[in-house]
Amino acid sequence: MSAVDVEDFIQQNRAVADQVETFRGYWESDKHWQARKEFILRNISEYDNQQLDQLLSLSMVWANNVFLGCRYSTELLAKVTEMAEGIVVEDAPVFKTRDEIVKKQQGR
Amino acid sequence: MGVPAFFRWLSRKYPSIVVHCLEEKGKECNGVRVPVDTTKPNPNEVEFDNLYLDMNGIIHPCTHPEDKPAPKNEDEMMVAIFEYIDRLFNIVRPRKVLYMAIDGVAPRAKMNQQRSRRFRASKEGVELVEEKHRIREEIIQRGGYLPPEEIKERFDSNCITPGTEFMDNLAHCLRYYVADRLSNDPGWKNIVVFLSDASVPGEGEHKIMDFIRRQRAQPNHDPNTHHCLCGADADLIMLGLATHEPNFTIIREEFKPNKPRPCALCGQMGHEIKDCQGASRVKQGQHDEFADTGPAAEQEFIFIRLCVLREYLARELTMASLPFPFDFERSIDDWVFMCFFVGNDFLPHLPSLEIREGAIDRLVGIYKDVVHRTGGYLTENGFVNLERVELIMQAVGVAEDNIFRKRKEDDENFKRRMKEKRKRMKAEQQGPAYLTTGQFAPQALGRRDRPEPVQNARHQAYDMRMQSREQHNKDAAQSLKALMRNGGNSSAGPSDIAESRGLKRKAEDSDSEPEPEDNVRLWEEGWKQRYYKTKFDVDVSDEDFRQKVVQSYVEGLCWVLRYYYQGCASWKWYFPFHYAPFASDFTNIKGMFTEFEKGTKPFKPLEQLMGVFPAASGNFLPSSWRNLMTSEDSSIIDFYPDDFAIDLNGKKYAWQGVALLPFVDERRLRAALADVYPDLTPDEVKRNSLGSDLLCLGKSHPLLDFIQELYRTESQEATEIPAELCHGIQGTLNLDDDPILPDKTVKSPIPQLRDISQNSAIGIKFKDPAYADGFVFKAVLLPGAKIPNKVLKPDNWVKGSQEPWRPQLGFNPNRQQAHLDQSGFRILQCHFFSSYSHSLNRNQQGGQYSNAPPPSSYQPGNYHRPRGSSHQSFQRKKRIHNLRSVG
Repeated sequence: MSAVDVEDFIQQNRAVADQVETFRGYWESDKHWQARKEFILRNISEYDNQQLDQLLSLSMVWANNVFLGCRYSTELLAKVTEMAEGIVVEDAPVFKTRDEIVKKQQGR
Repeated sequence: MGVPAFFRWLSRKYPSIVVHCLEEKGKECNGVRVPVDTTKPNPNEVEFDNLYLDMNGIIHPCTHPEDKPAPKNEDEMMVAIFEYIDRLFNIVRPRKVLYMAIDGVAPRAKMNQQRSRRFRASKEGVELVEEKHRIREEIIQRGGYLPPEEIKERFDSNCITPGTEFMDNLAHCLRYYVADRLSNDPGWKNIVVFLSDASVPGEGEHKIMDFIRRQRAQPNHDPNTHHCLCGADADLIMLGLATHEPNFTIIREEFKPNKPRPCALCGQMGHEIKDCQGASRVKQGQHDEFADTGPAAEQEFIFIRLCVLREYLARELTMASLPFPFDFERSIDDWVFMCFFVGNDFLPHLPSLEIREGAIDRLVGIYKDVVHRTGGYLTENGFVNLERVELIMQAVGVAEDNIFRKRKEDDENFKRRMKEKRKRMKAEQQGPAYLTTGQFAPQALGRRDRPEPVQNARHQAYDMRMQSREQHNKDAAQSLKALMRNGGNSSAGPSDIAESRGLKRKAEDSDSEPEPEDNVRLWEEGWKQRYYKTKFDVDVSDEDFRQKVVQSYVEGLCWVLRYYYQGCASWKWYFPFHYAPFASDFTNIKGMFTEFEKGTKPFKPLEQLMGVFPAASGNFLPSSWRNLMTSEDSSIIDFYPDDFAIDLNGKKYAWQGVALLPFVDERRLRAALADVYPDLTPDEVKRNSLGSDLLCLGKSHPLLDFIQELYRTESQEATEIPAELCHGIQGTLNLDDDPILPDKTVKSPIPQLRDISQNSAIGIKFKDPAYADGFVFKAVLLPGAKIPNKVLKPDNWVKGSQEPWRPQLGFNPNRQQAHLDQSGFRILQCHFFSSYSHSLNRNQQGGQYSNAPPPSSYQPGNYHRPRGSSHQSFQRKKRIHNLRSVG
């Protein structure tokens, strides 16, 4: 779904939108939540109520990758990147993962 | 807080709290080890009532020791644990209670730290295995020798978590151990043993605190019980102070910094794995018996006397002219609270408060200043007065700018000094810049041939001048050639040399490590903005967000204090950020916290494993559960990243940084597990259930008959312990399902140890005394409690004043001083004066002290300095007289 479609979707499905709001994490800032909310809304039509947790899990995989610097398996990351197509995150933070740091120190 | 950092600060500031432990060692007679008789009085000249063991502080060093090679298998680990407990029992010799507490499921607040440790440990383990493999290949290719890999599977220290098979086995082994000692060791005759294993929720040290707290609040408790708590954690000191029991001592291993570690590959000392050359093929000892042992000294223990710490704190915290009555116990509680600010296991510490920078002293200073304005103490029985805490935080906030700047300055100075030191060391190695040659060349002194006088000195000097000129010419010619080769691209000759010199300098500098990156730079203007942007990815103007962080932190402070004084207020609460706010952000905090959610329960052990283990440790879980950690379709796959970011925060190494792991969503975790719960085997169901404490005693204990009667009548109800049968300890008893009973053989879970066929111990389930909901445990000295005698020198003591005062080393103020016995002096006299007695004239040839007998006024055991200390004042006549009598 494109950005415009998401807007329409929210307007037409107030109940769903409200439900999605409840998924916000206590520690999520506005910026992080907006991005993850979009992820959820863009893909929510593919998941029925039983499988919502899976969608939430994938949204966290994506958010953890972008905002926290976590790495997951290549297949998983490919999947969520596809699901997140079209979401624009400005000024994403930059991270060094543990593996990178350790390799760098060993290489010296 | 880093254990070494806090304890180092504390023991330097208050040195008399430390007393070295005297450990009586077992003797060996004809190759048979004679165990120590622990019924004898404690050689440390103190008698302890209760010994509490924080078992995780014992399990870790016994299963994966840092200073010696690892045990080969699980059985060896268990034996090592038994021996360690025996050592502690020997040193402390408790006379009433032995309490062994193993960590059970911890509150959620602790889980984030546990997660971080286990994720890291898992990766470090994998890296170590890879490195070992790589270097092993290298060594073997080079023809070196390495013992065959005995340990088939690397010991994953992550198995030391409640719910694993290992912890279940450990519980069985400890029951065996307790039954054996109670039946066979006379030192255990009259004590009652409590065993709280991993199936009972709560951290070890807090289970101990719960026990003490609940015993204190019941009327039969002896207020002068002498407690001894074993554990290395710095917060045990805080916990001990929080009990307000007058006789509280902590025993821990003496921390020796920079201890050598054996190489992980060959087991030898002296090098690290990357320099490993392989093990020597030579046998060590006649039958290679020394192969496994190193010359390392055995670990020593120290006592930390909290009553002495109280004396120190009394001086530090006493305040005059307060607008409210001064109560020392309350100020101790406030001190404990302030120590949390510099670090604890549940909250990241505030960036401006570092122990190394004297943060606690700063806080105490502010506290004494501010308390006149606050109108009262900061805490009461573990409940925080937020309004007053805000005043402290604001005062710290004002100083934050300076703190950061000074920190940077100190850092720079330190780096500069290190650099200069390295330069000096290097220069010393290189030798002087110019050495004289030829006949003037330096000659080592002290050799047999002396240097010849210089011949024809002028000629020699001329030669030396010519030589150095030649060398210069050669250098210049070379650089000119190089210049011509480069086709004039480089600059003129001299600067070429300068360039090469410059290059050399750069190489020198690269020996010092590169500057670790710091994106926040707290010492520069705008630090608050950069901090919030880099750490939280939030603009500093987002006030709402900042207040959220502060609110959570304030909740955290209340939670931690409550945890220490009352017990766990909420099993669900946790701090949901990776960083702390600044002290200056603590504004209007009064209304931020009211009460925690009631009725919360801990996770079950296997649920908790899912919450703290990375996917790499999934082998400890049932397979359908493990699948949730790796399958793409899992609804909790986000909890288990393969790799995670580390925020170095200006530090150098990965282990020093903050691990940015995602927080576990409890609702989703429980929902996902609901689907796979049916897959648990009966054994796993048992491991997943919440267990109960166990009480054990031996046949001489007065409570034994009572318990036997309970079993005989198969009483199904909970029964209160009769107060007079158990040193005033209270609690409820319930029959154990598979109990330890007298005359019932206790099977040994360890092949090398025998079954106990003559068991005389009994075991029964135990629960701490219960109190009403909302009961508040008072943080006060109990009536009848006697404060131990003062140890520190009184402030106003002057030499020669009325009271004599001597430093006290150890527990006994009237310790016997060492002195020489009569026989010692007879030996001295014979040795020094044998020549004298034969010939009066030969005394001049004797040694320096031959004319110096012990002072005639000397009485052994009561030494006084002689009034005139010169040797000649003693009359010879007397000496001859004495010698004749000795013959």
